Amino acid sequence: MIVPMEQVLALSAVLFGIGAFGFLARRNIILMLVSVEVMLNAVNICLAGFSQHLNDPRGQVLALFVIAVAAAEAAVGLGLIIALNRHKPGAGVGDLTKLKW
Amino acid sequence: MPTHTAYVLAMSSSATAVFYYMAAASVASAILAVSRKNPVHSMLWVLALFLHVAGIFLLLHAEFLAAVQVVVYAGAILVFYLFVLMLLDLPGEEARQRFGAHWPFAVAGGLSFAALAWLSVVVPVQTEVVPFAASDATSAGKLADVGHELFGPFALPFEIVSLILLAAIVGAVVLVRRRSAES
Repeated sequence: MIVPMEQVLALSAVLFGIGAFGFLARRNIILMLVSVEVMLNAVNICLAGFSQHLNDPRGQVLALFVIAVAAAEAAVGLGLIIALNRHKPGAGVGDLTKLKW
Repeated sequence: MPTHTAYVLAMSSSATAVFYYMAAASVASAILAVSRKNPVHSMLWVLALFLHVAGIFLLLHAEFLAAVQVVVYAGAILVFYLFVLMLLDLPGEEARQRFGAHWPFAVAGGLSFAALAWLSVVVPVQTEVVPFAASDATSAGKLADVGHELFGPFALPFEIVSLILLAAIVGAVVLVRRRSAES
C-alpha cells in the first residue's frame, strides 16, 4: 500500500503549524519545548513520506538523526529550565526579564 | 488531479481509513497538547500524538523509525519531560494565562503552515520516482537498506550524532549542577 504523498505532506504541514502556534503562543517554557517536539515530529513524517515516495532509505536515516538531535535538545533545554527554576521558581517566560543575575 | 485519484484508488480502503484515522487523531491530540491548561494533560496528549505518529510511520513502511519513535520518543524523551515537570512542581501554572497577549500572531503563523498543507494537496507532488541505487524495492529489504545507509555513507554523521548526545549529557549535568558545590 502506498500512502499518497500529498496527504502526508498536508498532515506534516498541519502538525508543523500546530507546533509553531504552540511555540509562539504558550507562555510556559516546558510546553514551548513540547511544541518544538511536535514540530520535529511533523518534519519526521515528511522525511518518512519522501523516503517512501522516492524509495530511498536516506530519508529514514535523516529522520533518525532528527530524533537523536531532539533527544539532545530535550536534555539541554530541560537542564536550562531546572537551572532557571533554581533562581526564580516558575516556568513562565514572562518572568524571565533579567539578562543577568 | 488524475495522479492523485489514482493513488487514492491504489490504496486499499481499510488502509486508507487507518491512515485518515491516524492523521485525524494526531492532529487532534497535537491541538489538545498545545492548548491544555494543565501541563501534565498536555504531556499525555503528546504521548497520544507520538503513538499515532508511530502508526503513520508503519503505514509509510518505516518500521524501524516507528520502533524508535515508540522507544525513544514515547519511552525516553516524554518520560524525561514528565520527570522534570513533576520535579519542578508548578502548582500555580493552572491559574496563569495559557497564551501570551500576542496569540493572534501565533495563530497567523500556524495558519500559514495550514496554507502550505492546502497547497501540497492542490498541487500534486511530482510522481516520477528516481530509483535509488542500493534499493531492491522490496519492503523486506527496506530495513536492511536503512542499516546499510546508516553504517555506510552516513557512518561519520552517525558518530557525530553520538558525540552530540555526549555533549548534551555533559552540558545538562554542568547546567543543573549547584553553584554552591563548586565554591
